[in-house]
Amino acid sequence: MALIKLEGVSKLYGFGDATTVALDEVNLVIEKGEFIAVMGPSGSGKSTLMHVIGLIDRPSNGRYMFEGRSVARLKPDQSAKLRRDSIGFIFQSFNLLNRLTILENVALPLAYKGMSLSKRYKQASAVLERVGIQSREYFYPYQLSGGQAQCASIARALVNNPKLIIADEPTGNLDSSGSRLVMELLTEIHKTANTTIIFVTHNPELTRYASRVVYMHDGAIIHDEKTAFGSVAPRARQVLYTLPVKTVEDDLAGVSALMKAIPSKPSRHRTKKKRKVVSRKAAK
Amino acid sequence: MRSITKGQIKAAFDAVKHTKIRSFWTMLGIIIGVTSVILVISISEGVKQQIDGQINQSGNDVITIQPASINVGGSSLPKLDLLSGLNITGSLSHSDIARVSNTKGVAEATPLSAMTAKIRGNQSFYSSGLVIGTYPNFPNIIDNSVKDGGFLTSYSHNSNNVVLGDQAAADLFKESDPIGLPLLINGRTYNVIGIMHSFPATPLSSSSVFNKAIFISYANSESLTNNTITTYRILAKPKKSSQTAAVTKLIYHNLLIGHGGQADFTVLDQSQSLADNSNVLNLTTRLIIIVASISLLVGGIGIMNVMLVSVTERMHEIGIRKAIGATNSQILNQFLLESIMLSVVGGFIGIILAVFIDVILRLFSNLNPVINIEVVIIVCLVSALIGIVFGSIPALKAARKDPVDALRAE
Repeated sequence: MALIKLEGVSKLYGFGDATTVALDEVNLVIEKGEFIAVMGPSGSGKSTLMHVIGLIDRPSNGRYMFEGRSVARLKPDQSAKLRRDSIGFIFQSFNLLNRLTILENVALPLAYKGMSLSKRYKQASAVLERVGIQSREYFYPYQLSGGQAQCASIARALVNNPKLIIADEPTGNLDSSGSRLVMELLTEIHKTANTTIIFVTHNPELTRYASRVVYMHDGAIIHDEKTAFGSVAPRARQVLYTLPVKTVEDDLAGVSALMKAIPSKPSRHRTKKKRKVVSRKAAK
Repeated sequence: MRSITKGQIKAAFDAVKHTKIRSFWTMLGIIIGVTSVILVISISEGVKQQIDGQINQSGNDVITIQPASINVGGSSLPKLDLLSGLNITGSLSHSDIARVSNTKGVAEATPLSAMTAKIRGNQSFYSSGLVIGTYPNFPNIIDNSVKDGGFLTSYSHNSNNVVLGDQAAADLFKESDPIGLPLLINGRTYNVIGIMHSFPATPLSSSSVFNKAIFISYANSESLTNNTITTYRILAKPKKSSQTAAVTKLIYHNLLIGHGGQADFTVLDQSQSLADNSNVLNLTTRLIIIVASISLLVGGIGIMNVMLVSVTERMHEIGIRKAIGATNSQILNQFLLESIMLSVVGGFIGIILAVFIDVILRLFSNLNPVINIEVVIIVCLVSALIGIVFGSIPALKAARKDPVDALRAE
């Protein structure tokens, strides 16, 4: 049984002329134990997909089965409990609560489970040891480096032994050594606990860690491939050229280059505002 | 209530602690409300106990005759004479005094006349001091005596003697012994012959004003004012204190005959006059409690406003908490606990402040406020209730927010 099964899932924002299609009839099956990288330009619906899969957002249309159960009829509290017990979230900006120590942050999901204070601190401390920052457990989030903070938020995601970890650009705010630290930690978790991990990234290099790469554009999945661990996915090299760059010239050149670089689905009635995604190659 | 864990209470406390200054201003409304409610109740409770003590003391057989009662729809309310009773202008005449003295069962009776005058001792002066004209039997009737010198002896007006209240002697003559010294009343020279013992200084009792009064003979007070002085009270003492009630009735009947059937006076024994005072007190207390309760209400609204702002500010935090598995009711509890924390801590500060003020009142005034434990408990419950009622709107707003919208908020 697939862990996650999306059938024709769409997400629309707004009404009438202002309707934005964030997800466009996405079909996706994720098996237990997969390590999936999701790639695509900004605004391609990656985050919305993560939110829908992570049960913090509801699809407008389509069927979403989590462990074979439809989640459409779940009440808010039921989906909250499912998030708490089965899903771990890792965010780009860490999203640790600044007022709490690292230990308290990590123990928070356990608190919502109703575990006793000493028990949850014990468990949180054990998870912090596993991610290698136990020495920082009484620090506050702002006292840590980016890599350490992301490790703490990984610990928070792990503390309930979730079936699924969703990481929305976990390396987006980190330097290369921080990125490596975080990705190796996720790989380690994947190997030891066989946890299903979905992560969003802009960096093709990071597809080395994934067993499968999903490419998105304008809310639709345009390509889906299995890759071997340790090698960059072939298609990802193309996406490499879609990394955003800063100058106005690049922007102008990029729009035309984008058309060639990424084959998009033949458009239906698409009212979504196109973000500018440009090619570095075209600028040269 | 499994979701209200120790951690959540701590989190609520931390949230209050982290925004100390804002929390304080938020709590101020509750603090003021609680303080005033407790103060008012404790002061009135203290006064009531003092009055009860006064009735149980001696001197409860004194019968007071006052002029001018107001009859409202059958129920007889004496004019509100809260403190001194001097605001009554009525008619008690010489013949009334005679009637009271001649009533069967009355041992002694004395009129009290009052006027204000400029009084000068050898050290200081009262710009408007109280001069009371009375008979020499006054000390017997009110169970007090002179502590120094002697009381007035003459019923006739040709005596220039005066007796000072305890406080008046201290004020006008400071350290020196006033006996035998001259005293000027409106420029006329009088001779001090005695000082009264201190009258029990209890609130709402007219005898407390006697401490600052100058006593002269009744006839003298009439000549001092060219017979324009009014008798504001007649005090009478029954022969046997067990007959007080019967004698009170008799005096009433006698006076009614004298006034041609018109009841423009009241005759009260001590417990009645004090009971009247406590009715007035109860009414006043209730009114002030209502006003103070409004400030509690305003305090609650203040808490609601601050919590609404706080929920908006912390929307992102709410999103994070929901993403990692907080249920709606857990978010609700978190914010509800925070409001309750604000109002209960405010309530506690209010109670402490009220106790503090009560202690100061006990030390520096003649009020003896009494704080009932029940009042404190009720106030605690009320402030918790305010937290729940006014905290529920912001807490519901936080709890019902969609997790993805909350996460997107900054």
